[in-house]
Amino acid sequence: MTAIRTADRRRRSPRGARVRIALVIALLLLLEFYLRPSLIDGRGMPDFLILGLLLIAIRQSPGQAAVTGLVVGLLTDVLTPAHFGAGMLAHVIVGWGAATGRAIFFADNLLVNALLFFVGTWVRNAIVVLLSGASLSQLAVELLVWSPLQGIATAVAGVLLVLLLRDWLAIRIEA
Amino acid sequence: MREPTGRSEARGDLLLFAGCIALSLVALALPHNWATGVAGFFRSTIFRPLIALDTRAVQDRTARFRLGALEHRADSLALLVEGTTALRRENDNLRALDSLEARLVPAHVAAEVLHRPTSTDGRMLLLSAGRDRGVAPFDPVITADGLIGQIWSVDAHSSSALTWTDPDFRAAAVTADGRVRGILAPSPAVDVNRAVLELHGVALRDSLKMGTVVYTSGDGSAYPRGIVVGRITAVHNDDQGYERVYRVIPFANPGDVTHVLILTGAHDSTAAHGAPPR
Repeated sequence: MTAIRTADRRRRSPRGARVRIALVIALLLLLEFYLRPSLIDGRGMPDFLILGLLLIAIRQSPGQAAVTGLVVGLLTDVLTPAHFGAGMLAHVIVGWGAATGRAIFFADNLLVNALLFFVGTWVRNAIVVLLSGASLSQLAVELLVWSPLQGIATAVAGVLLVLLLRDWLAIRIEA
Repeated sequence: MREPTGRSEARGDLLLFAGCIALSLVALALPHNWATGVAGFFRSTIFRPLIALDTRAVQDRTARFRLGALEHRADSLALLVEGTTALRRENDNLRALDSLEARLVPAHVAAEVLHRPTSTDGRMLLLSAGRDRGVAPFDPVITADGLIGQIWSVDAHSSSALTWTDPDFRAAAVTADGRVRGILAPSPAVDVNRAVLELHGVALRDSLKMGTVVYTSGDGSAYPRGIVVGRITAVHNDDQGYERVYRVIPFANPGDVTHVLILTGAHDSTAAHGAPPR
């Protein structure tokens, strides 16, 4: 009984939570930079970086989420050098929006989580394409075809991750 | 007591958000040289393990799924080389009779393409070869199918390539018979499946048949002469009516390529891998 209580306390401790979140981030990085590219590649694939940002942002204050967004954006700008700074701005806005929106929506619902992942991906893509000097037709194709496709793929991957790692992410899913 | 704390927290959050937005805007406004310098610094230091992991993933995928296709391609190339040996010898003899030097073959570096699942991925590709392998800015980037673009920035172990889908891309082009020249630029009209190029600057008196293959002309020395680009599929007059604009479907699609060749030291107008037939 004492052992169970100790284990439970360890799981709930802030340090334990931080370690678990760090492990989830490491898992997402591995998925993004090794597993997905070693199996399949192309447009419309799930983006595990934006997924990581959203999962972290909904448990942070808006300011901290903006800083996390800046770091994730820097990483995407460095690796996709179409227009340096566009990714940073987009991720800062998405991170801040997710953290601020947490107070408005009820994040313990699986459908709400899925919607958050979809909208976050779509908004990020929209801002990046807008800032990268795309033509109107390119923008339309991106916003109506590719971004929704990637949003759906990211939402499905996100829901699976939340279901698998809900204890680690301390997310209570409504029945 | 709680309200002021909450208010100060909210103010702190707002300040952090404003600071991040300001930093992002500064990054957006950075001159090209500075932006590539900053990106290169991060690529060769903090984010280098991630790039190495990505490169490894591409190599593993090739080994896992494309080995059969690569073997077929190697066999086909072996047959092709075997068939052209006599022709090459004959050509060497003719060059020797005319006291011509041996044909220059530009050096090249093979590199993996590290795709990202982002909306601007096809416009600028991250490649796994950098300064350590002799890659320099403006080196042409090609595949076996045709032109991809040119190196935009280089750091120690990786580089980024501007592809023909980027709005800033331009290339001097010529038809196979050398009769018609023009400038290739990405088309503003986009197909859902793929982007296309437009051949500008073709005079109204010149007309090209549908299906004509377009090559780089070597003018301006940005690309060597003779790199195959694509095939003409449609034509329309420009708004002012001064020229014909031809729609070109390129043979190589930057969004699909997994491996490229970077032609190092190919900045004159010598042919890259076989000039267009005359």
